[in-house]
Amino acid sequence: AEALLQSMGISPDIPNGKDTHTHTPPHSSASEGNNRGNVMLPWDPDPCALQLHSDSELLGQGFRLGMAKVTQVDFPPKEMVSYSKETQTPADTQTHTQAKPEEEMADPKPAEDSQEEKADEEEKQEEVLPKELTEEEKMHLLNSEEFMAFFDRGSRIVERALSERVDVCFDYSGRDLEDREGEMQAGAKMSLSRVFSDERWSKNRVVTCLDWSPQYPELLVASYNSNDDAPHEPDGVALVWNMKYKKTTPEYTFHCQSAVMSAAFARFHPNLIVGGTYSGQIVLWDNRSNKRTSVQRTPLSASAHTHPVYCVNVVGTENAHNLISISTDGKMCSWNLDMLSQPQDSLELVFKQSKAVAVTSMAFPLGDVNNFVVGSEDGSLYTACRHGSKAGISDVFDGHHGPVTGLSCHSAGGPVDFSHLFISASFDWTVKLWTTKSTRPLYLFEDSCDYVYDVMWSPTHPALFACVDGSGRLDLWNLNNDTEVPSASVVVDGSPALNRVRWAHSGREIATGDSDGQVLVYDVGEKICVPKADEWTRFVHTLVEINENRDEGDELAAQRLLA
Amino acid sequence: MSAEVEETLKRIQTHKGVIGTIVVNAEGIPIRTTLDNSTTVQYAGLLHQLTMKARSTVRDLDPQNDLTFLRIRSKKHEIMVAPDKEYLLIVIQNPSE
Repeated sequence: AEALLQSMGISPDIPNGKDTHTHTPPHSSASEGNNRGNVMLPWDPDPCALQLHSDSELLGQGFRLGMAKVTQVDFPPKEMVSYSKETQTPADTQTHTQAKPEEEMADPKPAEDSQEEKADEEEKQEEVLPKELTEEEKMHLLNSEEFMAFFDRGSRIVERALSERVDVCFDYSGRDLEDREGEMQAGAKMSLSRVFSDERWSKNRVVTCLDWSPQYPELLVASYNSNDDAPHEPDGVALVWNMKYKKTTPEYTFHCQSAVMSAAFARFHPNLIVGGTYSGQIVLWDNRSNKRTSVQRTPLSASAHTHPVYCVNVVGTENAHNLISISTDGKMCSWNLDMLSQPQDSLELVFKQSKAVAVTSMAFPLGDVNNFVVGSEDGSLYTACRHGSKAGISDVFDGHHGPVTGLSCHSAGGPVDFSHLFISASFDWTVKLWTTKSTRPLYLFEDSCDYVYDVMWSPTHPALFACVDGSGRLDLWNLNNDTEVPSASVVVDGSPALNRVRWAHSGREIATGDSDGQVLVYDVGEKICVPKADEWTRFVHTLVEINENRDEGDELAAQRLLA
Repeated sequence: MSAEVEETLKRIQTHKGVIGTIVVNAEGIPIRTTLDNSTTVQYAGLLHQLTMKARSTVRDLDPQNDLTFLRIRSKKHEIMVAPDKEYLLIVIQNPSE
């Protein structure tokens, strides 16, 4: 406005081009009268009035046309905000892809929309309920000539195509397999293969022992203790399971009158299964007989065992072998499998001439028939030998703080002999690694938070062993990888206490028995259980390290004691 | 007559690796199937549309040409469609078996 005033007052030469034309000559006389003050215009804020003034002046002075400054003001067009809501459903069923109408345009649009929606809905309805032909109609179609002609042609081509087995997409670079690497990784660990359980015979019983058959790698014997819920059923049961077939019932079912605490396939007698019972009797089952009860039993007398037999083992060679059994009163008997009426030999395992050893587990090193290791209820470990002048307990090891539940001697044969190594598991939550050459443990594995119930070296891999504990965990330790934590671990569904673990002779499968009477067989991934050529040498280094650490540890402990 | 059809269908269905066989009419409605209903309806609808599209593509490129066989190879399966003026024969095979 100020600019306008200035342009009017100061420079009347610049007229408002438009309006000069509107003034007609008759007004000229009137304007002359107002011709007095051209510079000093009375302040009139109203631009229209100003215009009149200026025009009147100008008219007096005559028309003067000039360039008019036209100020261009641009107003942006009013933005019409509209929504376009689209869904990803296929075109046929699109009923809701309507633009939301603006409020001003509300009237014409909804009418349109509703019409469109209606049409779409009808379509949608048709799509949602595809026309079903009745059976009659279908049969009619199928019998028609056109169908026959079509089918004749079509099926011919399809059959030819089906038989072509060429995989045109095969990629030799192996990039295809990258996708499946995830699967392969998963397969590196352990996967549950079979679960064996019998409604009648294994339910409510605890699996007390497991053994794989040396002759038939698919057979597995599991022994069970008594079923408290079924007092009329036999207290002791042993079932032979078959991995080869898919049937879920046991291959053989055997009973005896007392709970079976340990069982084993008799090594040189493929038809015999030995069981050690709670009463001290040793029973022999034969799968050639039709009976489910044992064919031979040891007498319940002082010459044999009168305490529970937790360990039975057949040791020796084909021509000279014995059944060794040890009961918890420290008595060790060796028997001839043909005659179980009395032991061939017996020995009292006493420590320092007084303390009888309550043996809970026993293990023979690979290839040794004379020397063996036993673990006792009070947590101590002993080496012993069967024959010779020093028959009986030889050495005592520092042992555990709780009963020893499992013992295993190193058995993986290879370029280096590690048969002096053995591991023990105990109620004190630990697994210890020992060597027969020293009474102090080599290493302590304390990864578990519950009683460790059993432990076993892999029969093929020198640095691998498995252990199970009461929280349902099955751990695989690979000492060449890590001595602090297990290399693989799996928890059984339902976390039952796992009582036993046994590697299959191939070293690829592990069987474990739990407190619910179930036997679970796991497949171990190749990466873990198959030893590479250098595993033995690596294990030597690992042992050296372990030894060094132990000595260091001992030194430190000694220093601390002195300080 | 119909027994031959049955026999052929059975032969195809029992072929190594075959997962399912569906016969669809010109409107995309399945008239014979060995799979469950929902799967059948899905396959029939989708493959019918695809076959129509494939056929129109072939004919657009060359009006004197026509679609004779459609084969879809995926990571997991192979779907074979033998089309016709009136019907479709769909066979799903797992080639790795």
